[in-house]
Amino acid sequence: MSAWWVVLRKELLDAFRDRRMVIVALVVMPLAVPLILAGMSSLGTKRQVEKLERTLELPVIGAEHAPNLMTWLEAQDVRAAEAPADPDRAVRRQELEVVLRIDATFGDDWRAGRPARLELIYDSSRPLQSGATIARIRGLLEAYDSQVGTLRLIARGIHPAVVRPLLVGSRDVATPESRFDLAQQMLPYLLLLLAFIGGMQLAIDATAGERERQSLEPLLATPATRAAIISGKILATAAFTLLSVLVTLVMYRLAFALVPAEHVDMSLAVPADALGLLLLVILPIVLLGATVLTALAAFARSHREAQGYLPLLIFLPMLPTLYLMVSPVKTQAWMLAVPFLGQNQLILRILRREPIGLAEWAISLGSGFVLVAIVWLLAARLYHREQLAASG
Amino acid sequence: MIEVQALRKSFQSRGGAIVAVDGVSFVARDGEITGLLGPNGAGKTTTLRMLYTLMRPDAGRVLVDGFDPAVQAGDVRRRLGVLPDARGLYKRLTARENIAYFGRLHGLDAALMAARIERLALALGMQDFIDRRTEGFSQGQRTKTAIARALVHDPRNVLLDEPTNGLDVMTTRGLRQFLRELRAEGRCVLLSSHIMQEVAVLCDRIVVIAHGRVVAQGTPDELRARTGELNLEDAFVRLIGSEEGLFA
Repeated sequence: MSAWWVVLRKELLDAFRDRRMVIVALVVMPLAVPLILAGMSSLGTKRQVEKLERTLELPVIGAEHAPNLMTWLEAQDVRAAEAPADPDRAVRRQELEVVLRIDATFGDDWRAGRPARLELIYDSSRPLQSGATIARIRGLLEAYDSQVGTLRLIARGIHPAVVRPLLVGSRDVATPESRFDLAQQMLPYLLLLLAFIGGMQLAIDATAGERERQSLEPLLATPATRAAIISGKILATAAFTLLSVLVTLVMYRLAFALVPAEHVDMSLAVPADALGLLLLVILPIVLLGATVLTALAAFARSHREAQGYLPLLIFLPMLPTLYLMVSPVKTQAWMLAVPFLGQNQLILRILRREPIGLAEWAISLGSGFVLVAIVWLLAARLYHREQLAASG
Repeated sequence: MIEVQALRKSFQSRGGAIVAVDGVSFVARDGEITGLLGPNGAGKTTTLRMLYTLMRPDAGRVLVDGFDPAVQAGDVRRRLGVLPDARGLYKRLTARENIAYFGRLHGLDAALMAARIERLALALGMQDFIDRRTEGFSQGQRTKTAIARALVHDPRNVLLDEPTNGLDVMTTRGLRQFLRELRAEGRCVLLSSHIMQEVAVLCDRIVVIAHGRVVAQGTPDELRARTGELNLEDAFVRLIGSEEGLFA
């Protein structure tokens, strides 16, 4: 039996006897990921639907100047409400989403056939909260505008098409799977984060913990080489993490199978045949995480010191997601070679059922494994340093 | 057999280089118990660490059964059973699993290892707790497990750093008996201690170390004769020049 295999088996046995570690990695994380995403997704959908369907209370200033408009709005399920004295302030303080103000000269202008003035008061810096309401009011006003305009043209004997030189149609080629929303962008991030630091506890326990417990020195006195010992620890961390990711994906998949389709956003579903592909995309990140964590934790003198690196490591996989949110560009070949960014792109493409070419697989996996090999060699070299064991 | 020739090791510290071991030479023979005796901080642990390949000497040479740790680290480690100062166990594994882990790292097959563990458990009196997880073990149970772990590959040479540290009287007596058995089997036993009585009752040869240097070596009788003191403890104090660190 090779030494690395002996170390790998022992570390996994040790990990599986740590009830807390097993519960976090194989129960809490697999439950948390689908819950977070399902929560984000269903909450968002529900809020939008509710806002579009329920009777809208619209505070109106000067409703008495446009009784016909008010009657028409009423028919569209919009009820005029009392407006506050200072509408700007009320909107800015988020007490109201939108206020409609009708000019005192509205009636006179209307009768004279001049454009009659209306004003919408809203705050565009909160598109998530009030965007749907604003769009709904605006749409209604535009519909009223065009309806009355058409009637006026007909009354004057002019065909309405005369003032509509263009007819712009639109055809959305998005499939249900390729629709993009926040929850869908979160999935790759959560998966990559889990893949990268999911084995943190095991890595720390196997290295910093080993030093703290003072079991490293006798271990280094056995014929096992230091490279074999650290390789066994890295592989144990990677195997444990991979299991955690796999359980998470299966749970995620099950969640979609169990919940009736009308309650969930099916664009977030992971097709069963894509589980293998997702694991393959993530594999280099799992190994990279295991290697980086083991190397870092190997030089920490205690659990506490090792955990100090955690915030930094959480931030790393977030960078490409942030980048893609700010500038959602088309995938280019070089991006696939960038760790996290490449995996992020490929996960999204698997979810969108877009095919991935052989060359793209080669770039992503190749660059990933080369990086792992470099960090691995570095870790093995560092593990040879004399101070490592002799800290006691 | 362990031969040590003019061993030297220094460490970098903020105040400059500190010489921990400065020209130490001695021989530990097969079928004998050799004791490294010296106050705390004399360089005993550092010397042992160079023997079991954890540290590289700056100068000098070590031979374990003729093998040089600097070039044949693997051969040396296979011939050594080491109980270091740090003797932590894996608390979620049983004593047997702790010992078996090291046996596997030494490349033992399952049948041979099972037999060895039985023999060691019997010799060290571990039957009561051999299949219990080591969390919550007493100091004595931990030390016994660590010794069994160090000897599972049946090494010809046994290094023990302060083996009786923290043990009660009965456990210490049992351990001494065990070390005499190892000697009777013809093994080379090398232990370090800062406790005079320990070395006096157990060792055939004593190497007295102070400030990184060997200040005297020989049988207990030779040391007494050399200093003119009848009491070995007085002889020891005379040899190292002070009582500092002796009773820590």
